[in-house]
Formats: sequence, C-alpha cells, structure tokens
Amino acid sequence: MTEKTPVTLEAGVPLEQQSGRPPRRKAFSRAGVQRVFAVSEAGIVISLVALVLIFNSLQSAFLSSQNVRAMLGAMSFVAIIAVGQTLLLIAGEFDLSVGSVAGLSAVISAWLMTKGHLPVPIALLLGIGSGGAVGLINGLVVVRLGIPAFIATLGMLYAAQGFDLLLTNGYPIYPLPHSVGKIGQATPLFGIGWSFYILVVLVVVADLVLRRTTIGRNLYATGGNREIARLVGINTDLYKIVCFVLTGMLAALAGMLVMGSLASGSTSIGSGWELIVIAGVVIGGVSLFGGVGSVAAGFVGMLLLQVVQSGLVVVGVSPNWQTVSVGVIMVAAVGLDLFRRKVSARDSIRRRRARGSTLHETEEAGAM
Amino acid sequence: MKPVLETHNVSKSFAGVQALSQVNLRVDGGNIHALLGHNGAGKSTLIKVLTGIYPSGDFDGEIVLQGRPVAFRSPADARAKGIAYVPQEISVLEHLSVAENVFVGRTGVNGSALVSFRDLYRRTRALLAQLDIELDPRLPASSLTATERQLLMVARALSTEPAVLMLDEPTTSLARTEVDHLFRVLNRLRENGVTMIFITHRIPEVGAICDRATVLRDGQVVAEIARDEFQEDDIVAAMVGRRVERLYPSRAAAAAGDAILEVEELRVARPGTDLDLVHGVGFTVRRGEIVGLAGLVGSGRTEILSAIYGRVQHEGRIVVDGKTIKLRRPSDARRAGIAMLTEDRKREGLLFNMNLRENVTIGNLALVSHGVLVDRRAEAARAQDFMEALSVRARSATADVAHLSGGNQQKVLLARVLMNAPKVLLLDEPTKGVDVGTKQEIYRLIVQLADEGMAIVMVSSEIPELLGLCDRCLVLAGGTIVDEFARGEGSEERVIEATTLTEAA
Repeated sequence: MTEKTPVTLEAGVPLEQQSGRPPRRKAFSRAGVQRVFAVSEAGIVISLVALVLIFNSLQSAFLSSQNVRAMLGAMSFVAIIAVGQTLLLIAGEFDLSVGSVAGLSAVISAWLMTKGHLPVPIALLLGIGSGGAVGLINGLVVVRLGIPAFIATLGMLYAAQGFDLLLTNGYPIYPLPHSVGKIGQATPLFGIGWSFYILVVLVVVADLVLRRTTIGRNLYATGGNREIARLVGINTDLYKIVCFVLTGMLAALAGMLVMGSLASGSTSIGSGWELIVIAGVVIGGVSLFGGVGSVAAGFVGMLLLQVVQSGLVVVGVSPNWQTVSVGVIMVAAVGLDLFRRKVSARDSIRRRRARGSTLHETEEAGAM
Repeated sequence: MKPVLETHNVSKSFAGVQALSQVNLRVDGGNIHALLGHNGAGKSTLIKVLTGIYPSGDFDGEIVLQGRPVAFRSPADARAKGIAYVPQEISVLEHLSVAENVFVGRTGVNGSALVSFRDLYRRTRALLAQLDIELDPRLPASSLTATERQLLMVARALSTEPAVLMLDEPTTSLARTEVDHLFRVLNRLRENGVTMIFITHRIPEVGAICDRATVLRDGQVVAEIARDEFQEDDIVAAMVGRRVERLYPSRAAAAAGDAILEVEELRVARPGTDLDLVHGVGFTVRRGEIVGLAGLVGSGRTEILSAIYGRVQHEGRIVVDGKTIKLRRPSDARRAGIAMLTEDRKREGLLFNMNLRENVTIGNLALVSHGVLVDRRAEAARAQDFMEALSVRARSATADVAHLSGGNQQKVLLARVLMNAPKVLLLDEPTKGVDVGTKQEIYRLIVQLADEGMAIVMVSSEIPELLGLCDRCLVLAGGTIVDEFARGEGSEERVIEATTLTEAA
C-alpha cells in the first residue's frame, strides 16, 4: 500500500487479545462477565447447572452416584448420534433416519453373528459399515439429486425400518454370542458402561476438529452459505456426504451398543431417537439452518434433556410429563437463544454508537 | 413553489453521539430533491425519521407535511399520512404476479377480503399506464428484469397516492440505459406533480434528474444547491469536506507484459437451454494490465467472469500463463491462480456465521495451517496484515461482519481474494454500494495490484470508473464484444452508443 492508514482497532491492545476470550485475570470485571455470557455455550451450561441444583434440592437422591451413573449411561447411546447430527447440522443438513439406522444396523450385525456365523468383531464392523452405507445413500440422494434432507432422510427412516422388519419379521434376534452381552454390560470405570467413554472421546475429538482444524472451518462455511463455500474452493458436496456417512456410522455404533446392553438384536432399538437427537442438539444452540453451533454445546443440550427427564422421575412427576417437558424445553431453549442474540446485537450496536468513531457502521447495519 | 415536506431542526443522537443535528430540509412540490452524503453522513437516520421507523418523540424537531406538523407513530402511520418509501433492496414477491405485487396487502375489491383478478388487473393497468410503465399485470414477478422490478417498486409505492415519494439509491442495481428508462419514468411523474426525494451515491445522476440537492455530512446540512448551480466538484467537495483531488490514480501506461490470461471462443449458454448468454468472446490480458468489461446488465459481462472462475458451464479455451486449463468448479480456477470478487456481498460474499478474521482466511486456511490444524497465531497475524494493508476499519479482528459498512465489507472480501496471491483477478462491480472515500481507496488498490504484475479484469456499470482505471475496455452487448478501445480513446458516449446501437440491431 502506498498510504498506510492505521487500522482502528482497540487502541494499544494487540490483536491477539481482542478475540472473544478475555485474559484470565479480568475474569471478574464487568466486561469479563459480559463476555463469558456472550460465549454461546454459557447460557446452556448455566441452565443445566440451575436445573441440577433445583432437582437436587427437591430430592437429594438426584445427585446420588447411582442416579448420576444411570443418567450418564442412559443418555450416551443417543448422545453418540448427536455428535454426528451436530456436524451434519453445522454443514447445513440433517438426518431423520438415525433411529431406524441404529435399529437396522443392530439387527444386521446380530443376524451376521448368529445366522451368518461370522466372528463377533467382524459382524460388529459390518454393522457399523451398514450404517455408513445408509449414510452414503442419504448423502448422495441429498447432495447429488438435490432432494431436501427432510424428505430424503424421512424416506430412509421408513425404508430402514421396513428392512429391519423384513430381516426379522419383528422378532428379536436372540440369543447373541456371549461376548456381545459381556461388552455391552461391562462397566470399565466408575460403574459406567463403555458407551459413555466412547461418547466422551467422540465429543472431545469432534469438538477439537470443529474448533481447531481447517475441516471444521470449512464445515462452518459450507453450512453458513454453500455457494460462498464453493466460491472459495471448498468441496461442499464432499463435506456434506462425509457428514452423512459419519452420522450413519455413529447411529449404527449406538444401535450396536444398545444391542450389547440388551444382549439381543431387538427391532425396537432406536425407535424415536431421531427427534430426541435433534431436540437435544437444538437445545444446545445448534442451528437448524446450518453454520452455527458446537459439538460441546450439542452434548450439553443432550445432557440437559436427560437431567430434566430423570429429574421429573426422581421428583415423582408422572412419566408422561417427561414427553411434554421435552417439547416445552426445546421451544423455550430456541426462544431464549433468539432473545439472547437480539440483546447482544443491540448491546454491540450501543457500544459502537457510544464509541462514535465508527458511526457509519451502525448506520449501515441499522439500514439492513 | 410551496414546500411539501419540511423538517425543522431535526436532531437525533445515540448515546451522546449526534447522528443528526438541527437538520432543516425543504422539499418543494413537484420537485425531485436529491439527498446526498456518503456513509455515516446521517442519510439513513434522516430517512428513518421521515419514514416513521424512528417514531415521533424518538428525535427532536418537527416534520411538516403539506403545511401541517405531523407525528409519525410507525412506518405504517407515515405511509398512511403520505410518505411512500422505495427501499434500496428490492423486495419483490417472486411467485406473485405484477398486479399482486403492486397492490400487495390491498388486493381485495374495495378493501374487502375478496379478490377479483379482473378488478386487480384493471386497477394495475390503470396505475401503470398513468406512470408510463409498460408491464403486463399478469406476468409473474420472477420474470422481470432488474429495472422492471425497480419500476414495480415505484408503482407499489405510488399506488397509495403519497404526498412524497422517497427513492433510496434506486439505480444501484441498474445498468446505464436502464437508468435512463427509470429517469424517463421519474420525469414523467414529476410532470404529473409527484414530489420525490432521490437518495443516491452517484453524483452525475443529480445533475441528470434533480431540481435541488441537499448535502449531509456528519449529521448536518452542509450544502443546499439548486439545479442551475450544480457543479460535480462542488458536490463532491461538500460531501467529503475537502476537494477530492483526483478520483482515479494516475498510472504509467501498462508495460506490454506477457499474456497471463487468454480467452478464446468463449461460449456460455443459459442453463438448460441453447440460448447463448455469451458467444464467440475472446480477449487477452497481459501482466499488469487492467481490462474493463462494459455493457448492460445481461450483456454477458458477469457470465464471462463466472466462466473464467469455473462457476458456470462453458465452451472455449481459457489459458492461464500459457497453460490451457479445465475449469469445472471454482476450486479449479483458484488452483490456476484466478481469484474473483463477486458482485453480491450479502449472498455471494460474506459468511455471516463467521467473524471478520475467519471471513478473510476462509478458503486460504492452508496458508496458516500445519496439516489440518489451524495455527491461530499465524492466522491472526496474516489476517491483520491484510486488514492493515487495506485499512479495514473495524472494532476488532473478531468483529461481526454484518455490522461493518459496505466499504469495509468490500475490503474484507478483497483481503480474502488477495490472500492467496492470484495471478488473475476478476472484479465484478468492485465499488458497488461503497462510499466515495472507499471507492478511491479501492481504485488505488486496483492500480497498485496491476503495477505489481497482476492481470485484472473488471466489470462495472459505472462507465467513468472503467474509463478512469482500465488500460483497455471491451464493450459487450448481447453476449459479444461490440467495441474495444485503449485508455484515452474511449468516452462515455462511445460506450453507450456501442451498447445501444447493437441492441437496436
């Protein structure tokens, strides 16, 4: 540049420190607190903590190690799928077939290890592979044929359910080789099953991939605006298809973990999961319109859903109210999120107006 | 002439910052009154005061409409009291007919809930005839051109028979002859006694159509100019508060470097049809050369850039640096060293789910990553280099891009396309919706990039911009090149003649 006009950033503060996260020592200053609230996960974590405290004050058995173990165990199957669903939502798509796919893959794997006489590890891998294959079909139908994900995966929900029944006539595949139940019912640490630890690893890895890698950045771009992502050279089709495949595989994995814990290839595995998964991650702030959210937040959303469901039971409310609560919480969570965004947008405009130097920016923003 | 609309000492402040101070505006009946000022001057705030977006009581001062003080409670109230507003962003309901678009919300017979299409078409035909707009009321709005959409918006605004019609930058998305068409309609309206406020960035338009002009700067009226006193230099000087020495940077004649981009026999068909949008187009761009593409919207200029960037299917040969390249998708073009700045910042430019820095680096993350891991320190440093070089003005590198001004948004996108050091730069309307000061900065940048050896192809609807910047101009009409001239040989008349004559043929 021939003429260098200084960039009007916050005076004297190196750019590094101007990112959303404040330096640690400032954590309790007013600005610091505000910024903590501005982090998108903060609202959901605070709600979670509040609910836990409320339920525990109503019934101290709520935080008993037994109940905590039960809750974490119960949520992990579905939450494993939520990891894939979150990535898929961020890429701008979603998958309604995950419940059916979980059931179908479990049944396929059970069939292979009993009637097919395959060794258990191979049958399990093929089961996960079958979930991946279904995901691939979903991905190709959505991305290549341009059929909206809602229709394509709703179709797959029925088709997979149908295949499940064709394969089993509705009867569970039972008994399974002894080792399956052994893995499924094992409690390697703190009396919690493998599925929870698998979930934790998946959440940590997926969250890091989203936050720290080019893959994550490209996913956000793909879900934010597909055309722009294409323009900057991102292979958006590939990203979406891979997310579908991954979601299918995770659905299958969850299905097989349930199969292990039941020691039976039941046809009812996964029934109704698709909506719980979406409700949970949406509560966590993952946008249905793509490009917004995080795996950690989706996980916390699933956790919150579980806390409410168990909490109502522990407190002694009729189980039928659980279902009502899921619906109410989902709508309330999205409503609160919208409200929070509005408030923070207004605050940032006020701040800039108060600053004055960049008045024209607010004017443009207001005109939009 | 009696004033139709006046403001008396209108002031408005936000948290101590004066956005408008003591603004006295006087718009005479039957006039087209220009409202000028670059971004931040207070235009948008004044518009919001006049259209009821900031209701009465939200600002100080008084609005007088047709001699009586008025207080608008809401935009709907302002409309009911006689202020019609055509916003900059055209909002046409694509799936509805022209008639339904004009009378949207008031389609019923005599205000009832019953719709008679015969009645609706009759009313629409009468209104359009009165405005001298030739449009079939039954046509679906999706089939309309940009000008027709703009005229449709005007018709919608006038269907309420307002006292004042406000037009907010109505020409931004129109090409030159289309602007003439719009101006013919506005002239006709003026003859019929309609009072208009015309908000614009384009100063020549003021001389072309307006009777008076009010110039705002820093929230104050800094000049009131009558038609016979219009001097473009004076207007610019009033807007920026100093005389702009030269809008276009001077430049030594481009050295005849090697050919960087060669296009031969380019053909682009309208998707799914045999209709050619572009055919038989060929040209060469040398190292350090700026080549302009002039022509109307729809003349094929954007399609040429899109083809070279691999966005649309095409036939023909495209050679970069001596190598023929196959362009199936934008990533192929990027690999070959081609970068493109698209015209529509909102739909094809900015990612609103990402912050400023991430908007710059997206697509170029390989430059700041180890494998797939993004090195955030390197990313921040790299992005800041570009922000400084382009003097992007923002609160921080993690600011929300939605809140930036048009000019700063454009700079963010320029940083993005420049980050991986392209050999060929394609610019589609690089200064659209950008204030005068930023325009000048962008011009300087373009020239500097060319001086550094980049081959640049630039599309613009503003002919003076092409004449001022480009080493060579190609004039397009109907998808082919109809004229070509070097720097200093062309003129606005020559370009307009070339485009319009071909259309007549």
